[in-house]
Amino acid sequence: MLKRLGIVILVALAVAATAAPASHAARKLRVVATIPDLKSLTEAVGGDLVEVESLTRGTQNFHEAEVRPSMMLKLRRADAVIENGLDLDAWADVAIEGSNNPNIIRGGRGRIEISRGIEVLEVPTSKVDRSMGDVHPRGNPHFSLDPGLAPTITQNIVDGLVRLAPESRAVFEQNRKAFLAQLDQRMAEWTKTMAPLKGGKVVVYHPDMIYFLTRFGLVQIGMVEDRPGIPPSPQHLVNLIRAMKEEKVKVVLVEPWNDVKLANRVAEEAGAKAIVVASAVGAVKGADNYLAAIDYNIQTLAKALQ
Amino acid sequence: MRALIVVVACWVVLLPSLALAQSPEAEALRRELQELRRLQEQSQKTIDALSERLKRLEVAPAPAPSSVAPPAPPVSQGLNPPSTQMSPLSATDLLRPRQPFGLYQQRGAGQLLFDMGIAADFVGNLTQFNVEKAQGGTFQGLENRVFPREIELGLFGQIDPYASGVVRIEAGEEERGGDIAVHLAEAYLTLLALPYGTQAKLGTMRNRFGWSNNFHEHDLPWVDRPDVYRLFFGDEGLRETGAEATWIPDFLPFYVELLGGVFNGDNETAFGRRNLRDPLVTGRVRAFFELGDSQALQVGASVASGQTSGRLRSTLVGYDLKYKFRPDGWLHPLLTLGSEGIYSMRRTERDVDADEDGVVDFSQKQRRNSFGWYGWAELQPWRRWAFGARYDSTQYPDAPGWQWAIEPYVSFFPSEFLRFRLAYKHTDRQQRFDAAGNGGSARLVDELLFQATFILGAHPAHPF
Repeated sequence: MLKRLGIVILVALAVAATAAPASHAARKLRVVATIPDLKSLTEAVGGDLVEVESLTRGTQNFHEAEVRPSMMLKLRRADAVIENGLDLDAWADVAIEGSNNPNIIRGGRGRIEISRGIEVLEVPTSKVDRSMGDVHPRGNPHFSLDPGLAPTITQNIVDGLVRLAPESRAVFEQNRKAFLAQLDQRMAEWTKTMAPLKGGKVVVYHPDMIYFLTRFGLVQIGMVEDRPGIPPSPQHLVNLIRAMKEEKVKVVLVEPWNDVKLANRVAEEAGAKAIVVASAVGAVKGADNYLAAIDYNIQTLAKALQ
Repeated sequence: MRALIVVVACWVVLLPSLALAQSPEAEALRRELQELRRLQEQSQKTIDALSERLKRLEVAPAPAPSSVAPPAPPVSQGLNPPSTQMSPLSATDLLRPRQPFGLYQQRGAGQLLFDMGIAADFVGNLTQFNVEKAQGGTFQGLENRVFPREIELGLFGQIDPYASGVVRIEAGEEERGGDIAVHLAEAYLTLLALPYGTQAKLGTMRNRFGWSNNFHEHDLPWVDRPDVYRLFFGDEGLRETGAEATWIPDFLPFYVELLGGVFNGDNETAFGRRNLRDPLVTGRVRAFFELGDSQALQVGASVASGQTSGRLRSTLVGYDLKYKFRPDGWLHPLLTLGSEGIYSMRRTERDVDADEDGVVDFSQKQRRNSFGWYGWAELQPWRRWAFGARYDSTQYPDAPGWQWAIEPYVSFFPSEFLRFRLAYKHTDRQQRFDAAGNGGSARLVDELLFQATFILGAHPAHPF
């Protein structure tokens, strides 16, 4: 028996050794982003030197992504994984651990978290428990579509990529600079569009637009969800509709993966309009990349608030 | 006027000499000043660098920025994790002592280094009196009771940069009205930094045999474990102590995982040899196919081969299939289909009374093969409600005959961390069943099963 076991182990080792990749030289960096917003930003920064895949699609709720073995295969081949952090993509830990790739495990050189240096909003100041719903103990994690934070996020991506390909630092930095120049130009237009609407009041379905709204001076007065991730009770909806009428709220923002019908009903009752926002890159038609997603939200909001 | 000329002349004569006299002192002062300025600049640079570094490391709770946030400066090379953290371990690395508790010092006092959670699973059942008497229900000996089946304390996290660990301690009622028994359900470490797409797990674990065996009772999509697992491996399924390794090839266009394991063979129902000289050897291959954005299929084949306590070979091979349809943007699957089957090949010993004098003359070895399977479908039209049914059909592994069962159920999830389930199960056995040996019979069993499960704290996500 022991002899047979020994033979099995030797064969397994031999197979593993022959299957090992001979060289990683002279090829693009394989990067896997947990959400499509980060895929788009990594493509902008990495340019031709990277191949980027996303583990999720924009039409999905990132909190509840299902860990599939196909994610593990993408991660198995990856040189780096780019994660949002602040527990938005905590499920990625399970996929990464199941990928058998030591380069991207926690503490590995290819693990890039882009929340470093972000001024986090809605950090709980009291004891946190699940009676508060799906609350994030480290603060609201939905910052990736705030264009004002793109410089920090892209810097974190550049830092991470440089760790793996130091020889390409100049290219990454140049790409980032070019992207930020484009962003600055668009930012000036967006700021101009939103300036007359400053102080406008909105209701959101799920609290994933707070960074964007704060950036452009809009005020979130309530949520359709009772608490984050918890479906609303009838009493909550009654109170919300009353508050919307009192505050003269014109718009309810809803993600494509949420209950759009309910958002429409609430908006109708309150004399407002429900609009489906690009809660992520690819969430709606026309929001195919980072700049397009923000542009979509600006144009849609501006039209609805006028 | 003459006096003025004399003063001016003296001044002109004396000035160069005074300048010459003061020059070395001024030069020294100048040098000192320059040095101080240089030191000041150096200190300022150090302060700036440390401030930037602190700023980048801290995530300060603050109100929303009113303008475009400044970009964070590049991380210095010195901040990068040491390269050894990603390199495969060499033999020397493995032998070198490490200081895992160093991590504690970095995180600071009062912070745990691992996650913990509690999963509590209460089940109840109502059935006929004769079934209770024969102890022939799904929860044998616990018929017509509500009881804590599994209260599990789970602790999990990183051990060091190279490995993660899991410890699960379970408590539950095993006998009618008896004391709550506490036992170690799982305790294993996973080596994460092995080369060539491999990973190894060591310790006591639920074996990755088939799809559902790996799941704890509270995570199963049904109130009870499928009959084929309970009859072929015992009430808790296959849980063993040993080691297993996996390999994920990265050159295939779809996901494939190959697994091999060596265990004690402690499972009394299927094996029981409990000796590494004749170990229980397991193997599994699993493939996963994405069928577009909204559908996926997983197929697997497993094998477990060991010896019984009587040193007779026992081999089980199994298949598993799972299909999910999750329309794009849905927070839950609409349709889930699954099936698992196990073919058991056992060598058994039969006492033979050749001359029919009531005395056993000799023992005869024979092979007993049996097969069991289940098929399952679940429909979840709303986020909080799921409806499903499972059909079980299983031959007995150590006796002639077979049984079948049908179990429709409904699940209600008020949230991700709380679930209620109600099921009806009808079991039809081909022969009389009397586990208690008191004259009861449980050939036909009708049961109403209910389950309440809640989770406190952390609970890792389950893949597909």
